[in-house]
Parts: sequence; C-alpha cells; structure tokens
Amino acid sequence: MNSMNNIERVKEIVEKVAKVRKFEQIDKFQIAFEIEKNDVHQTLSALKLAGWKQLSYLSAIDWIETSKFELVYVLFNWDEALYIQIRAMIEREAAEMNSIISIFPGAKYYEREAHEFFGINFPGNPDYHKQLILENWDDIPPLRKDFDPSVYSDRKFPKREYSVDYSVKDPENKSFEKIKEREKRALSLRTGGQKK
Amino acid sequence: MKSTKFTPVPLTKAETDKKWWEIGDFFRRNSLWLLMYCTGCCAIELPPAMTSAYDMERLGMGPMATPRQADILLVSGYLSLKTLRRLIYTYEQMSEPRYVVALGSCPINGGIYHDSHAVINQLDQYIPVDVYVAGCMPNTEAVMNGFVDLMDQIKHKRANGWKKYHENYSWYKANQITSLGEVDVHDEFHE
Ligand code: SF4
Repeated sequence: MNSMNNIERVKEIVEKVAKVRKFEQIDKFQIAFEIEKNDVHQTLSALKLAGWKQLSYLSAIDWIETSKFELVYVLFNWDEALYIQIRAMIEREAAEMNSIISIFPGAKYYEREAHEFFGINFPGNPDYHKQLILENWDDIPPLRKDFDPSVYSDRKFPKREYSVDYSVKDPENKSFEKIKEREKRALSLRTGGQKK
Repeated sequence: MKSTKFTPVPLTKAETDKKWWEIGDFFRRNSLWLLMYCTGCCAIELPPAMTSAYDMERLGMGPMATPRQADILLVSGYLSLKTLRRLIYTYEQMSEPRYVVALGSCPINGGIYHDSHAVINQLDQYIPVDVYVAGCMPNTEAVMNGFVDLMDQIKHKRANGWKKYHENYSWYKANQITSLGEVDVHDEFHE
C-alpha cells in the first residue's frame, strides 16, 4: 500500500472516533491530528488496533502566552512507513491528563518524565509523581517557560571568578596591540622586509 | 687507623617515611591506572589516547575497572547533579593516594553549559582536582600532556589533592550539600 492511501485510511480511522480540530501533513511520512483532550484515549486505541502499536514518544509543549500545554503522542508502525502525531491541548493551570498506560503500558515513564519537567499530573498512572531523571528537585519544573535556568544556576552552583586582567574589556590590556605588532612583523618578514 | 666500615646514619621515622614515599611515588607515577568516568563528550578523546595513535601504555598508563584499584579519577566533560553524586561516591571509594584529572572547559567553569539548571560549574568546589586540561574538547596531545603534567606533579610532590580533601573535608562537604541537597544516592532501581 502506498503512503497516500495510508494517510486516507488513517484519516478515516481518526475521524470516526474523534473530532479533528486540525490536520497537518508534515511530510510524506509524518502526519498530525489535533483533537480534543477527551478523545485521545479512543483515538490511540483505534490506531493501536489498526497497526500503530508502538508509542514512540510522549512530549509536551508549553504555550505560555495562551496558558496551555500541548501534549504530543507519537505513534509508530512497524509495517507502514508513517508516523502519526496526536496532539491535544490541556489547561496550563493544574494541568491534568488521564493516563494512557491501559493502552500503552510503556507510557508510564514518559508520563513520569512529563510530570517532572512540566508538572502535568497523570491520574491513572500509579507512580507518575515519583522522581525519574531529576533528583531532589527544589524549584518549579524546569522545562516550563517561566523557569529561568541561568538564575537557578547562579543560585545553586558556585562560579569561577576571573581576575580582570583576563578580560578583553580591560583598558589596561595591551594584548591586542601586541598581537597587531606581531602580525605586522610577520608580514614584513614574509615580504622580505620590503613594503609592498 | 680510621675504620672503613659503613655506619648507617639512623633516620627518624619521618625521614624514613619520606624515603618510602619517594620510592612509592616513583613506581606510582610510572604505572598509573585510570578510572574513566566518561560523563561528557570529551570522552571521545580517549580512544585515540589509549589506542595505537597516541598509545597511553607507553607512559605506563592503563584503564582500570574498579575505583578501589585505580589511581586517577578521570572526569571527561560536564557533570550533571546526578552524575556528580555518583562521582563523589566513586571518589570516596578510591584508595589513597588518588588523583583527579578533569578534561574540558565544562568542569573548569561550566563551558557551554554555564547557565544550565542541571550542570555544575566548577568541579574543584566539590572534589579537589589536580590537573585541568582546557579546551572544548581538548585535543589528544593536550590530554596526553595533562597526564605528563600529573606525573611531574607527583614527582615534585605537588599532586596533593587527596590531602587537601582530608584537610578541608568540611568545606568540600558544605559545598556538596549546597548544590546537591543530599549527597547520598537514592534511586528506585537500586533500592
Ligand atoms: S568541554 Fe566541550 S567537549 Fe567537553 S564535555 Fe564540555 S561541551 Fe563537551
């Protein structure tokens, strides 16, 4: 089956179970559907039955201006060369999404990761709140857009201090002039001491 | 007539110890075993350093699998908080004298990760470092030069990082706790 038919087939499957808000064809092998939060589970299980039985990735995007998180589920099929992205918007405040571990058990760790880095809750996943990658994290989740990594770094990690004479902004620093002198001399040697 | 018999001058305990240390250091610096803690991208410089291109073996150096039998802890690249915990754990397991060589600009001042929430900026705040090799990444000649520098330091009794760790233990521990919160490793996969 070629990929064009495939896309039509997937569209049919998805439209049967969910209200598609937006369809996007990213390239020949990737398509994306934006659907309602409540339709995600049905869509994923329908696609799983149709052969997209591996969840490649679950990720989140922080749209801070509109105060939303976008969840992206990427599905992979071992027989057809077509990736499917299922996207759903959820509220940013008290973000919550029902777990999909009943459909894809491997999502357990992706959900824990999303909880750790974005603070999204996944009721239905028994240990989504456990720490996975960060240890003893003590600030707001680090991949939220309102988290400032350099402020955190300045606060937590001692910085090396350099004395000013290493700085090129130092007015006393004559090293640029010295380099110029050296270059001039190198040039004069190259031309045998003659000016060109 | 004056006797020609050799009468040894009795040495004090400190002097004898010093002599033994010198002998020990001679052998130690000619057979250094590395424990490679390949945390970051700088680790890519080690294959040429170890294999026939630069052949570390000719300096008497070789890789070692366990911390307890290694002399050098080689930190190659950036350290996240998570790896720093394991690094301190490893460092404290090593038998003395122990030396630390850090590769790359990341352990020196954070390098390109200077403003990251996950990567520490200055390794010598947490454990003493004997040799830094600058560069991002340092080329293999620089790495080899770093090892030769370390041998030189051992020869001139300047590789004293491990003694400093004893003397300033509370300072190092305080720094570790400020950045890490808790130094002990807890994770669900090992408990
Ligand atoms: S110094 Fe450069 S090459 Fe080395 S670990 Fe840091 S970023 Fe990577």
